Amino acid sequence: MEKVMLIDVSKCTACRGCQVACKQWNRLPGEKTQQQGTHQNPLDLTPFTWNLVRFTEIPTKDGGVRWLFRKDNCMHCTDPACQRACPVPGCIFTTAEGAVVIDKEKCIGCEYCVNVCPFEIPRYDKATNKVYKCTFCWDRISNGQIPACAKTCGPGAVTFGPKEKMIAQAHARAKALGGEAMVYGDKYVKGTHVIYVLPEKIRMYDKLAINPTIPISVYLWKDLLKPLSVLGIGAALVGTFFHYVIKGPKRPEEGGE
Amino acid sequence: MNMAKPKNLILSSTAFERVVHWVLAGSCLFLFLTGFGLMFHSLSFLADLFPGGYPIMKLLHNICGIVFGIAFLFALVAWGKDTLFFDEDDKKWFRVLGGYLWEVKEVPEAGKFNAGQKTFFMVLFLFWFVMVGTGIFMWFPIFSPAIIRWLYVFHALGVVVLGGFLVIHFYLGTYGNPGTFQVMGHGYVTKGWAKKHRAKWLRDVESGRRSI
Repeated sequence: MEKVMLIDVSKCTACRGCQVACKQWNRLPGEKTQQQGTHQNPLDLTPFTWNLVRFTEIPTKDGGVRWLFRKDNCMHCTDPACQRACPVPGCIFTTAEGAVVIDKEKCIGCEYCVNVCPFEIPRYDKATNKVYKCTFCWDRISNGQIPACAKTCGPGAVTFGPKEKMIAQAHARAKALGGEAMVYGDKYVKGTHVIYVLPEKIRMYDKLAINPTIPISVYLWKDLLKPLSVLGIGAALVGTFFHYVIKGPKRPEEGGE
Repeated sequence: MNMAKPKNLILSSTAFERVVHWVLAGSCLFLFLTGFGLMFHSLSFLADLFPGGYPIMKLLHNICGIVFGIAFLFALVAWGKDTLFFDEDDKKWFRVLGGYLWEVKEVPEAGKFNAGQKTFFMVLFLFWFVMVGTGIFMWFPIFSPAIIRWLYVFHALGVVVLGGFLVIHFYLGTYGNPGTFQVMGHGYVTKGWAKKHRAKWLRDVESGRRSI
């Protein structure tokens, strides 16, 4: 059954428990980082940070600062561009719950997924020549548990459950918040399996795609040129065959020296 | 003069040209096979041909791309001067398409290469640039995703164009034009063949205006 993770950023306190729980469950190493003048740490997703709380500071009129927090991770698209682009059969797959998973044993490090993802999620690791990202804890959810980040979330900002129920909850919450509050995710790429309740406009949040779609280049590449390559070769084979049969080969004149 | 020259035959290509051709042909074919293996999940048996499977097939595709890329530079040296221009006869050749598609009274005489072959080489030149240029940065994606994802499109476009060209090139070089294959085989062709396919070149060689 399809599941959805609901991230209600209005409840997030930026404790980053989800970041730690993700590292712990997935046995991801810690990374050395440097203070860059923001609480966001590390500064971006990495091959070993699949879950990152992004911090946006908004100056207020009275000279203070307002915080916007957003837990960033793979959105687990229903129509994943990464899976369309991946050259290795079965390397990127979608589970019954809706998790989009990279099988790291099969990954060849081509980075096609990195370059087509509308949310810019997958990260390439040079040392292992493989790409990594959030797995939706598919090893947990396929066994009836909830993802590690949802499990650990104290303020209840990250919840997990059946798709329809969570989408209904999201819309109810957005309505209750009022103002600019909106639901993000259920309408894009045939619905993502991670959806947000955003109290502010999309553009206010760091690195959040405004109208995420599968890039047109992916359609041109995989749905037009890919079949055309076979058609072109096929047409040339048929064409040359009938040229031989109908027009015949061009022979040098008889008796030519 | 070559003393081992078979009777009534004339040497149509240098050993350099023939070797360059086969390096290009071999690398091109290998790139096509491995490239199709990477494009179609249904052709995964191609990856099984390599010990190590997909990662090795991809790596060999990349390395072979370098071989192809460099081999074409030699091709430019070998054939650039005879192909990268059109003359008056070439314009006439295009009007009758070399007599390949309908009956024509007379096919305009060609030099070492006819207008069709020249066009083939020019398109190959263009797509050599496209395939090597996109391939390098697909291998080492140093630009932003918004740019890199368009390289995939142009690389695939090259497959469409070169795939069709390859088939037609093979046909015209073998059973479509009997006697032609040896230009890239041992190099010797009959004078009848040369008169039919490259009359201007034959006159130039026989009068000593060009060696080959």
